[in-house]
Amino acid sequence: MMTEAAQTVVFYILAASVLGLSIAVVRVRRLLRAAVALMVMLTASAALYVLLGAEFLAGVQVLVYVGGIVVLIVFAIMLTRSSDLLEDVPSNLRRLMGVCVSSGFALIACGIVLTSHFPLSPSAVAPEDDSRAIGKALLDYGPNGYVLPFEIISLLLLAAAVGAIVIARRTPPSAQPFTSGGDLPPEAPHVISLSQRDKRQER
Amino acid sequence: MIEFLANHTPTLTHWLVLCALLFCIGLYGVLTRRNAIGILMSIEIMLDAGAINFVAFNYFNARDTVDGQIMAIFIIAVAAAEAVIAMAIFVALYRYRGTVDVNEMDSLRDES
Repeated sequence: MMTEAAQTVVFYILAASVLGLSIAVVRVRRLLRAAVALMVMLTASAALYVLLGAEFLAGVQVLVYVGGIVVLIVFAIMLTRSSDLLEDVPSNLRRLMGVCVSSGFALIACGIVLTSHFPLSPSAVAPEDDSRAIGKALLDYGPNGYVLPFEIISLLLLAAAVGAIVIARRTPPSAQPFTSGGDLPPEAPHVISLSQRDKRQER
Repeated sequence: MIEFLANHTPTLTHWLVLCALLFCIGLYGVLTRRNAIGILMSIEIMLDAGAINFVAFNYFNARDTVDGQIMAIFIIAVAAAEAVIAMAIFVALYRYRGTVDVNEMDSLRDES
């Protein structure tokens, strides 16, 4: 009984903090603070995963989201100097339309969720070892296995890595295949000038 | 008090309402943010809401399998790929235009 009570309390605390932090993510004007709020919010949702009995998933969430994606977002903020300039406040019309659309969607979704009946089967027993069951299902060739999506997702990640390098590359070689001989903007050549190069060597 | 709390454990409906609210907060961010990185962060919130939905259905409806958790892992992997590509695009965009404000991204519009 104590366990159920603690589960309820923890659920409401975590839900409130996740909702509040995500509101902070969308409302805060400084993007770096929004990124920090996003980091804490993703950690709290990893705790929600633990509450749902998915410990391995919580670990993945912390590793990939908090350790990878948020760091990447902070890098993007720094590289585009979005932290220097305050993001200008959205106009009142825009804010009103956003509130209308999102609250309308929330009303419809909550109405559907509250009125529909989901057939529950709570008697089933969870698998003994979470990560072992996930690993077996990911590499299963059978009809309930996920080996093909698993391979496709690895291909997707490889393609994303290569594509990111190609897109963000600074000075493409002129004879590079699949590019039209360099895509630098004409007025801003990013080649280091001779004088700067000399200064750099002096240092 | 403890009895009351123990009798009111969160059900599937509670989780689904939480995820719907989270998704709508992300939607609000997508609609009102002007900086592209802010929009990316809002999209991450929406993806996270979807992943929690999958895990909640797994927990309440099919506890003996891990299908929902595997779907959540796929969502996280796709979100990682998306964040990588988005960051590369933002950096390239900033180099060309000097801004990542989505209101300025109107070069397809006919100026004349």
